Amino acid sequence: MNRNNIFIHIALALVLILVAAFAGQLSRWRKQLKTNVRIVPAAEKKQPTSAEEIALSETRSFGRPEVLVKFKSGVSRSTIESLTSRFNDRIEDSIENVAGLESIDDLDNADASIVAAQYRAIPEVEYAEPNYDIELDEIDNPLEPILPSDPQFNDQWALANSGQRGGKKGADISATLAWAKTTGSEDVVVAVLDSGVDYTHEDLAGNMWVRPAEMDPYHDEELGTVDDLNGYNAIDGNSDPMDENGHGTHCAGIIGAEGENDLGIAGVNWKVQIMPLKFMNAGGFGTTKDAIEAINYVIDRKKAGVNVRIISASWGSTQKSRALEDVIRKAYENDILFVAAAGNASTNNDRSPHYPSSYDVPNVISVAALDRHDQLASFSNYGVKSVAIAAPGVEILSTWLGNQYEEKSGTSMATPVISGVAALILAENPKMSVDDLRKRLMDSTDPIVALKGKTVNGGRINAAKALE
Amino acid sequence: MSINKDGAVQNARRDLAKRLNIDPGDVKERSVEDSDFPDMSLGAAEDGEMSGQMITPGWRIRLEANGQTFEYRADKNQVRLYKYKGKNYRI
Repeated sequence: MNRNNIFIHIALALVLILVAAFAGQLSRWRKQLKTNVRIVPAAEKKQPTSAEEIALSETRSFGRPEVLVKFKSGVSRSTIESLTSRFNDRIEDSIENVAGLESIDDLDNADASIVAAQYRAIPEVEYAEPNYDIELDEIDNPLEPILPSDPQFNDQWALANSGQRGGKKGADISATLAWAKTTGSEDVVVAVLDSGVDYTHEDLAGNMWVRPAEMDPYHDEELGTVDDLNGYNAIDGNSDPMDENGHGTHCAGIIGAEGENDLGIAGVNWKVQIMPLKFMNAGGFGTTKDAIEAINYVIDRKKAGVNVRIISASWGSTQKSRALEDVIRKAYENDILFVAAAGNASTNNDRSPHYPSSYDVPNVISVAALDRHDQLASFSNYGVKSVAIAAPGVEILSTWLGNQYEEKSGTSMATPVISGVAALILAENPKMSVDDLRKRLMDSTDPIVALKGKTVNGGRINAAKALE
Repeated sequence: MSINKDGAVQNARRDLAKRLNIDPGDVKERSVEDSDFPDMSLGAAEDGEMSGQMITPGWRIRLEANGQTFEYRADKNQVRLYKYKGKNYRI
């Protein structure tokens, strides 16, 4: 045996050792994966159908070419390229440490096992096997979605859209991923300025604001002292904000129906404090003056030490009020975000403003409504200059009077979604200023084709992005 | 107190007769249709009024008197006269 032959034999031996080592490692990986991960052939991957599945589908996934093919030693690069081209395939990558091992992408999207069989049938191939998607199962993952135990959660498409009732999968606010970061905080207070709230509702009672015992009752020069233990009623100037309509109760549930309590639905926040304020009557309408009185109450309580940082305003009209604008500006000066419904007249607010959502005050964020197909709701107002953002607002399930749950539609329903996401942000960032909070919301959307030219940022709120 | 469709039509007829100072029998019912209104003031807010921005089902009532047509809007909570001489009225 001459010297050259020895080197050739040594080189061959090294290659065989590498191949054997690689095969052994593959086997060990497979054994590990059996305990820690599920392996699904990429071509057989099932489309998610339930809310749980769509939530799970939002975990990290790894895109893979279709097959791994090991060509025999001595097969040239040009031959490999010719063969893959003949099958209308593309070499996605070459595995550097194993000569001849290529990952190949099938451009016809054929079943991976069939493609692998095609390659095994040709003499130049040593082996071929389907590539596999590897889905993390038990491995700790910070983006693992969190699903609540609330029995009607699967009907809450706005939070997790699995395509239920013909909707578009993933057309939601990514709540289940956001909840991996936070499900809210009882330190955050959201004022629901509305028809009041049914504070006895089984799915809300645990998240209602109660005036701290050490805090003095509300005092108004005109009304005197009001024992605002459970909130404030600006219609009657008293302490009972009980909802007689249902609208305010619905909005409150979207923001903060108790999560993981085995009842009804989950709010965007599982834990939060909802401060109920009543200025609209049993018919669902009220006066501008009473709205101003209620906002004034919120500012007073903020100054008294309540951490109320958001006013959710699912109401409005086309009538401009300088006094209402002034009190909203005063709320801004007190670091309070004002989330307002864009209106339901299908009109352009840039041309025909809707108030309070169209006030040019830095804390106002105007909200349009989307349906379960990621389309602007047929009724929703819009405005590329004046409507800031969009959120789900059609067929939204939430709490209703008498421990009931109902589906309702309107920019009224989209507004508390934004308020709820704002509360999640504050749960993670308690000191965030109102300017930064509004900016964070505006920077935390998924672009939606249907919103191009319709809202300022052309996007649907994404709660998970808002918490990044 | 909850209002039904027939009650809403009767309220509307009485209101129009009073406004026009005519006999209720001279008010003709032209049409009554189920309708979804854009908000809780049924798209007919009075001055200084704010309403919940929730789609609200109700009835669109068209009445005829003195050769003119008048539109009322109603739901279980209220009856409103829409754009009567340029203004909305809750009756």
